[in-house]
Amino acid sequence: MDFFSNVALGFSVALTPTNLLFCFIGSVVGTLVGVLPGLGPVGAVAFLLSLTFKMEPATAIIMLAGIYYGAMYGGSTTSILVNIPGETASVVTCLDGYRMARQGRAGAALGISAFGSFIAGTFGVIGLMFLAPPLGRAALRFGPPEYFALTLTGLTLVAYLTQGSLTKALIMTVLGLLSGVVGMDPISGEERFAYGSLTLRDGFGLVPVAMGLFGITEILDNLAVIHSQSIYETKIKGLLPNRKDWQDSAWPIARGSVLGFFLGILPGPGPVISSFVSYAMEKRLSRHPEKFGTGVIEGVAGPEAANNSATAGSFIPLLSLGIPTSAIMALFMGALMIHGIQPGPLFISKYPELFWGFIASMYIGNVMLLVLNLPLIGLWVRVLKTPYVILFPLILLFCLIGVYSLNSNVAEIVIMLGFGILGFFLRRAGFEGAPFILAMVLGPVMETSLRQSLLISRGSFGIFVTRPICAALMGFTLLFMLWPMIWKRKTAGKDRSASAQKNSSS
Amino acid sequence: MKRADVTIALILTGLAAFVLLEASKLSFGSMRVPRTAFFPVILATLLLMLSLILLGQALRGAPTGRGPERIEAEGWFRIGATLVALIGFALALERLGFLLSTLLLMVLLLRAIESLEWHKVFAVALATSLVAYALFGWLLGIPLPAGILGI
Repeated sequence: MDFFSNVALGFSVALTPTNLLFCFIGSVVGTLVGVLPGLGPVGAVAFLLSLTFKMEPATAIIMLAGIYYGAMYGGSTTSILVNIPGETASVVTCLDGYRMARQGRAGAALGISAFGSFIAGTFGVIGLMFLAPPLGRAALRFGPPEYFALTLTGLTLVAYLTQGSLTKALIMTVLGLLSGVVGMDPISGEERFAYGSLTLRDGFGLVPVAMGLFGITEILDNLAVIHSQSIYETKIKGLLPNRKDWQDSAWPIARGSVLGFFLGILPGPGPVISSFVSYAMEKRLSRHPEKFGTGVIEGVAGPEAANNSATAGSFIPLLSLGIPTSAIMALFMGALMIHGIQPGPLFISKYPELFWGFIASMYIGNVMLLVLNLPLIGLWVRVLKTPYVILFPLILLFCLIGVYSLNSNVAEIVIMLGFGILGFFLRRAGFEGAPFILAMVLGPVMETSLRQSLLISRGSFGIFVTRPICAALMGFTLLFMLWPMIWKRKTAGKDRSASAQKNSSS
Repeated sequence: MKRADVTIALILTGLAAFVLLEASKLSFGSMRVPRTAFFPVILATLLLMLSLILLGQALRGAPTGRGPERIEAEGWFRIGATLVALIGFALALERLGFLLSTLLLMVLLLRAIESLEWHKVFAVALATSLVAYALFGWLLGIPLPAGILGI
């Protein structure tokens, strides 16, 4: 297809006044969410989802995407100035960013992270533009077995990449899949586990559950221990990085862009992982690794670039395969499906104006964010000083209204609160919410594809290893699953011998 | 940490058993023609296995992650009060109407999280309720329940 006419189509969609406005709103809200610790992009997208129902689908996805990448920009501000990550993808930015601020170089750190984010974000969008359509065409040949393998791979990878205990992450995955089972059987339409409840007959709604697990849980967690935060009071001057800063950051930004993009495509929290990997890589490649952690600009530029291009990359599996790979992508899938749009191989050819409009809006959004973030940094710093006492009640109120407005159903508020409380105690016991929400969304896809595969193969599981793409995915998953076991056994053996030595010597 | 894990593992074992029991009332089908109960049974079996693994790990005292930050009594109070306010809102919403419930919710939350002075509490609560009403009810056109006061 002629590429340029597609891009032109995209810009014609993205540049309508309404879409520009909502792209702007999304970017601002995203930056806000990123700046404020206590509410991550997942929670924000969840509670704004309900506002998008009455919008055009293109407008809805443009605004929600703005929130997502806006949060990546905003998160760095809090990391640099307060040493508290605004969201998890900016955890590593604290290491060198805050040190730089202490040395009076807050301006350079903020500047390079905004520019780095911009460059990487643009790179990511270009990659998305070139990679998603061919992948979508290839996926047209996928049948139920391939889809089963894809969901299995996705869930396994996410469980393995979740921090903490693997057993717990797997338990959360299975619990999420089980929650997805509640309601109607996707094939026969029979009712399961609904117990006569009209609300449950449609299954647990994605929005109430996501808002519970990521909004309410987050706030309860923050209420438990209120940190008095101190913003590093400094005159922020010289937002434009100097020549040497650029020289030091150019390669980290370039490497971070590429790395982030590809890690973003893989299942799991791409932005978070890619920022850690980028930091580790820059430290290894550096000529002065010992200076990392003392305020070197490479330690800010690389990870900030990586987490931004990862956000673009993470849209690829959703838009071309219909498989969300992280909690936030699950919400995007929900947003599209509310409008009756099924993301998947047919998405790009069926809704070109939506796909290309979305791509174009991401270019525009990245420019907006650069403009927003540099001159308005003072404003964001002031936002940071909003006391919790005002902030928390407002977030809670938004969550309540957001969920209620879905179907004017109080039962959904109860579901949200239930999952919020459950999520809080589970998190305290080391169980994370991300695998749960992803599994809940993928559950029906997984069940349908598994049952259809078995129907095709007349009950033989051989179908999953005899088809090449399917076999490759299964092999990859198996390898990935076995790897940590082998690795763990090795290190455990070492640990044991080390502690044995210690005991004998004492 | 260890005790929490044992408790959770036991609860999950119970949940898995419950799902298996409930699924037995639905039709399972066969490998050739899997039906409604097929997937839930697989999942419940997996959950059962994982719960037993967790139980084993906890009893052996294997580290299953770092312990959480200890919550002081004050923190528990804030959490408890917030939950009471939220559940109260859910119960009150369709009886008292949006405006009144929101006002009550905000008053409770503002007092609970950090004891602000009463006049400030009321001022902030009233302002947010009215702004929320205007924003969601009028501007965004979300149907908000009217209660006893008809607002």
